[in-house]
Amino acid sequence: MTSDVYNIDRIAPAAAPEGSRDDTALSHYVPAPCQVACPIGTDAPSYIGYIWENKIEEAFEAITATNPFSSICGRVCDAPCEPACRRADSDGPIAIRNLKRYVMEQLGKDHRLPVVEVSQKKTVGIVGGGPAGMTAAQDLAEAGYEVHVYEMTDRLGGMMIWGIPAFRLPVGTIAEDMDRMLAHCPGIKVHLNTPLGKEMGDGGVTLEELKEKHDAVLLSIGAWWGKSMKVEGDDDDRVVDGVGFLRKVNNGERPQMPSVVTVIGGGDVAMDACRAAARLPGCEKVKVIYRRGPEEIPARLDELEGAIKEDIEIIYNEQPVAVVPDGDALKLRCIKTEMGEPDEDGRRRPVNVEGSEHDIDCGLVIMAVGQQTESEHLDGHGLINRDRVQTEWDGMRTPDEQVFAAGDGAFGGSTIVMAMQHGHRSAYYIKAFLEGRENPVPYRVPFRTRDVPVAQDADWEIFAREEQEFHGLGSDPVSFPEIESTYTPRSAKCEAARCYRCDVETGSQDYSVKNREDLFVMARTAPQDTRTQRAILNKRSQPRENPFPEGGLPTFDDLVFLPANLSRLVIDPYRDDCNVITKIADRLKLASPSIVAGLDDAADEVRADIAKGVATHGTAYIGRRALSADVPWVQLLASGDAPDSNAVGYIIADASADLTAMKAAAGDDKFTGMVFTSNNLEASIVKALEAELDVALLDGTRGITSAWSELVVDCDLELLRDTIAIMRGMNREEDLDILYFGGLRSGTDVAKALALGCNAGVLGMSIAMAAGGTPEEDGTVGFYSDYTSEDRTNGVVQILQATSGEASIMARCTGKTNVHNLEPEDMRSVTITSARAAGIPLAGTNRIMEAAE
Amino acid sequence: MAQVVDLSALSVTEGNKLIRQYAEAGENIDVLNPDARHHIGVGVTNEVTIRVHGSAGYFCAGLTDGPNFVVDNNVGWGVADNMLKGSVVVNGNAGAIAGVAIRGAEVVVHGNIGSRAGQVMKEGTLLCRGNANFMAGYMMYGGRIIILGDAGDRVGEGLTGGSIYVAGKINDVGKGAEKIDLPSDELDSIKEFLDRYEIPFNGTLQKLQPSGAGLRYGTLEPRVRNVPFYTFSGASDYWNTKVQEDIHVKAQIGRYRLRGYGAARALPHLGDIAFRKDLSDTSDDANVLDKVNLKTEIGGDNGAEAIKLSMPVMIAPMSYGALSKSTKVALAIASGLSGISENTGEGGMSDEQREAADQLIYQCLSGRLGWNIHDMQRANALEIYISQGAKPGLGGQLMAKKVTKAIAEIRGIPEGIDLRSPSRHPDVLGADDLVIKVEEFREATGYKVPVAVKLGAGRVRDDIKIAMKDGFDFVELDGLQGSTGAASTEVLEFVGIPTLSAIQEALDALEEIDSAGKLQIVLMGGIKDGIDAAKAIALGADAVAVGTGAIIAGGCIACMQCHVGTCVVGIATQDPVHEARYDTQVEAQNIHRYLESMRWQMAAIAHAHGHDDIHKMGRDDLVALTPEAAEITGLPYEPGYRNQQTVAAE
Repeated sequence: MTSDVYNIDRIAPAAAPEGSRDDTALSHYVPAPCQVACPIGTDAPSYIGYIWENKIEEAFEAITATNPFSSICGRVCDAPCEPACRRADSDGPIAIRNLKRYVMEQLGKDHRLPVVEVSQKKTVGIVGGGPAGMTAAQDLAEAGYEVHVYEMTDRLGGMMIWGIPAFRLPVGTIAEDMDRMLAHCPGIKVHLNTPLGKEMGDGGVTLEELKEKHDAVLLSIGAWWGKSMKVEGDDDDRVVDGVGFLRKVNNGERPQMPSVVTVIGGGDVAMDACRAAARLPGCEKVKVIYRRGPEEIPARLDELEGAIKEDIEIIYNEQPVAVVPDGDALKLRCIKTEMGEPDEDGRRRPVNVEGSEHDIDCGLVIMAVGQQTESEHLDGHGLINRDRVQTEWDGMRTPDEQVFAAGDGAFGGSTIVMAMQHGHRSAYYIKAFLEGRENPVPYRVPFRTRDVPVAQDADWEIFAREEQEFHGLGSDPVSFPEIESTYTPRSAKCEAARCYRCDVETGSQDYSVKNREDLFVMARTAPQDTRTQRAILNKRSQPRENPFPEGGLPTFDDLVFLPANLSRLVIDPYRDDCNVITKIADRLKLASPSIVAGLDDAADEVRADIAKGVATHGTAYIGRRALSADVPWVQLLASGDAPDSNAVGYIIADASADLTAMKAAAGDDKFTGMVFTSNNLEASIVKALEAELDVALLDGTRGITSAWSELVVDCDLELLRDTIAIMRGMNREEDLDILYFGGLRSGTDVAKALALGCNAGVLGMSIAMAAGGTPEEDGTVGFYSDYTSEDRTNGVVQILQATSGEASIMARCTGKTNVHNLEPEDMRSVTITSARAAGIPLAGTNRIMEAAE
Repeated sequence: MAQVVDLSALSVTEGNKLIRQYAEAGENIDVLNPDARHHIGVGVTNEVTIRVHGSAGYFCAGLTDGPNFVVDNNVGWGVADNMLKGSVVVNGNAGAIAGVAIRGAEVVVHGNIGSRAGQVMKEGTLLCRGNANFMAGYMMYGGRIIILGDAGDRVGEGLTGGSIYVAGKINDVGKGAEKIDLPSDELDSIKEFLDRYEIPFNGTLQKLQPSGAGLRYGTLEPRVRNVPFYTFSGASDYWNTKVQEDIHVKAQIGRYRLRGYGAARALPHLGDIAFRKDLSDTSDDANVLDKVNLKTEIGGDNGAEAIKLSMPVMIAPMSYGALSKSTKVALAIASGLSGISENTGEGGMSDEQREAADQLIYQCLSGRLGWNIHDMQRANALEIYISQGAKPGLGGQLMAKKVTKAIAEIRGIPEGIDLRSPSRHPDVLGADDLVIKVEEFREATGYKVPVAVKLGAGRVRDDIKIAMKDGFDFVELDGLQGSTGAASTEVLEFVGIPTLSAIQEALDALEEIDSAGKLQIVLMGGIKDGIDAAKAIALGADAVAVGTGAIIAGGCIACMQCHVGTCVVGIATQDPVHEARYDTQVEAQNIHRYLESMRWQMAAIAHAHGHDDIHKMGRDDLVALTPEAAEITGLPYEPGYRNQQTVAAE
């Protein structure tokens, strides 16, 4: 099973159908192993993610999108997803099935899906109301067809109701899923007590009638009858078949048992039969006899463990050879087996050990050795081949072109989830038939995702698998109380947190989900399997998208620092801080190369909290308003603003404005400066130098005086490059201290600004975010009550410290002991766009590319 | 009667060979006319007495275990470097870093000692009768230094473990150390030592011990399952989720964030290069492996025994410590099964790893953790780590909880200490020092095994020329995409140059000094498969190394939380409960199959290009698909090839 999950082809899922509620088109998406292992492609990772977020309705949508029997499957699905779960190799798979049950129970039995009305003229008749037939019924009804379901018994559910005892699957649970489906699809008309053919009475419906009434017919009649072992003495009344026995019990009968009951077989029917027998009156001991060993037993581990917990004895490597009546009792004569050569299905064949016959005393033998389909009526129409309805897998068709078949009746006994796959599959081909499409493209299980974020639980690596509470036989076994109860919200959340989320992008560009899955496939492909090797080579040699398509904007992200190695002295010791003290215009001393700005429009209480943080760190604020008396204020003079004597310096925002008033107010004590933008840059520089200003504030956002301008324009590397180039051209590089504002998000960005020629970086947005600010859709930044004053202040203190630390570490990596010694030569660009914009060579080259090249 | 080795008539290499021969025979040795030459007596592992009649140069008695050296006059720097058992008595003065990285030896200097004495020492005693220059005990992990004279400035700087005793003046205690009164029982032990070496002493001692300052953070980084690096240049979403998350976390902890793995964002890479040949010629011919030679020898050009690879692929250096022992063993087994080499990374060589690996490269880092002469002698190659792609220019740190008993033992340090390693080697400040260091390694191992250098890509053009001049046998060159178990996210993303740029600069540099093809280059940093490997080799690399790729093949799910230590799959952890989740044998097979898949890919690609040897792949076989890749590599820009890379269907 697991090896099928590592299939190179699954890494190319189809696009989602239009209007479907999912995110399959996400470029990273690869269906997770659990999803691939599920015969109906259940989007387990998404619903698990939703459970962690407590979005139960969303989880319900993800579950029910492919699974009409979600409540049932939450309890008794064979869950092939779990052995495929990647965490199974670590500390146990995610309890995907239990989590499904949790969702369904959280919402309750009355939770409904939206109603889909009939919109087509054609109708479909379905024989058999089990999982295959009802899944097909829902798919067809959702497509607008009226569907008539003819069910032999008095209730819907098929083997789900007649085969599975109530202690595992309460009757109400089946009704819950059926009621939800019928409310969702009023176009499904149910005819109970209506067998196929008249052989059992007039209540039946014949194939001719069905073909007459409906445009297509689906036979999902199940494999209802137990097979015989064909051993001597098996015609004794005290030898019964497993499905027949379960049918009785599930119909409410509670027959008296002898003290010892034996069950032959190792499948799920055997498990249900043995556990049902153990609950019945009179039964003291149940023994299960299985002809292979514990490694081969097909029963689901949960059921097997449940049986063992209920004191049922499992006898491996034996098989019966005869049933010998012994007065009121029976002797089941068994022979020991050993494992022989593999047969055609790859399983090793049990071989009898000669002379090892022995008798097991018992009062009843239940044979659970397989099921078969019987229908005299269909046999009469030539549609039965051996013990099944004659059906082609490719189109789910019988020899009668109007008649389709699915489920156990067509393909032999299997699981509920496999029957549902048959239901989806047959509905697909029936729709194609009804629409007159001949030779439709083959059906494939669709994989979808809902792009749910990863659970952010710190202990996800540590949590052990949560088990449901197990009650065993309970205090009144004969009433078949349910064996387990579902999770609490807390345990469900912990279990959900354990999910690796193999569907989600968590890694790096190089080791993206897609790349990782390819590597997983490489690691699971035999070297001799050259066909697959070739498929992998094919897949792996597809070039990736150009990560830097034309038209991209240059940003700080594109610049990298060059570390000291051999040709520059690496700075020792390990973490000694760099010198970060920063001086502006010889007058303003800052604790680090960061100044704060751009918060004039925040609420006063927020500004006050931020001010405390700025003061604690020891830097200054640039704005039209002072932040507080404790923070040195560099006044930004917009047109009409009068210089304030409380400011430590002035920066005129409009480069074309008259500088006289500012110069006069500054006198000798305060410094003066001007905002530069890419508009009229050269003229601004000339003017600032002529006026002997001290500071140039480069405004990468071209709007420093308006609110939250950093959300409008990202950053402006050209402005930095051009300013330095023009000043260098005039040989006046040292005559203005340069500050840069716009898009500085980290200490690394600040270090890059310093390396490009600045004396300090000016932070706005990142300070606001550290204080809890949230960018809003209207282009403003919101501050909310969930951040206390202390949170805001502390956030500012910490981010300024982190920024300074990061700038230091960048300088140290390059072999510098002072952040102000960073220089353009310490950097390279990784894109041509940024190489041009910043005047920094592309990494791997040493050529400075011209801006207009 | 001691055997005589007269260095006036022999080279140091010849002399050392003789010394080792005599030592193996259990005979004492008199070294005459040492002439202050370097490396005298390195590599001796027998309990014999070696008397140096005169002065010795650098690394006298270095990389040894057992001998007792007596030097009549002075020694240069690094006396007793990495000495395990045994002793060195120097009757004159010792240069800088006396007793560097010793692991149990006794070093007695009757005169003065130079700066940084006992740097990164782990066990043993270093005694100085005279004065010690600055920063004695710098980044020391264990053992003791006894200074009977005055201590220089910043004594005990960065002290992590061990003790420093000073009889004379202490002007200035280094950051990380604190002064306390001498406990009386320790005085007894010191006196016993002094008596043994017949050193009279009546004074008093002050003691310095680690203060623990600056080792631990006030606020721990909140655990977050990583948001991938969503955006890159040009995205309109400049203040994206990732940026916001970073700011929010840093606003709580006041420092850079940490994670595992390498640069997470898109960078120019081998994926931006295409093969010129349409691979649809590739058949699923099982014999393609017989038609293309993949065998590659690395490191044998200068006379050492080359590493013999069945294909031009190595396992990249990764440490036992960052990774669990089970993972290291799985990698070793897989490397053996595939006939390639494994690498110890930092932190020593385990017997299981040595046994499982066919060819094993042994890495030497600045902290000299797990470094010793015995493992050097059983390695197939030695490698000096200068830096790595993930975090060049910085030292490392392993938190105390990860320094388990087993880790402490193999690294030769006290259990449960907060382990920091220096950012540069104690004895390598520049290129000239490195030459001497390489020589020491070669002397100690008899010039038998290749000596490599591991370089994180920065100023590759300059660095590679130095590596060439320093006489390395090969370079492991690691680009910005290279991964690690823990580093600052900012350093991971923004320090260093991409792997593609690195190989180009390296080749250009060798060309510039007329040494093209004279220094083998093993390229690493984001090599994921045989396609990447074939491109790297066509560009001019001699081999590639895979780290992360092999780890992923062996079960890593790339949550990038390696630094936390509770790895969910049991790879990046020392917690036995978590390590138990890792099935070494199963994962070894997975890694082996991954490597074999790489092999098939390389063979199929070379074959499709008409080559019978992977090393015949050349630049003519490649085109660039992006302007960046073209500009970096000089390959023709042929975006049209983007659509021609599909292998035809069956």
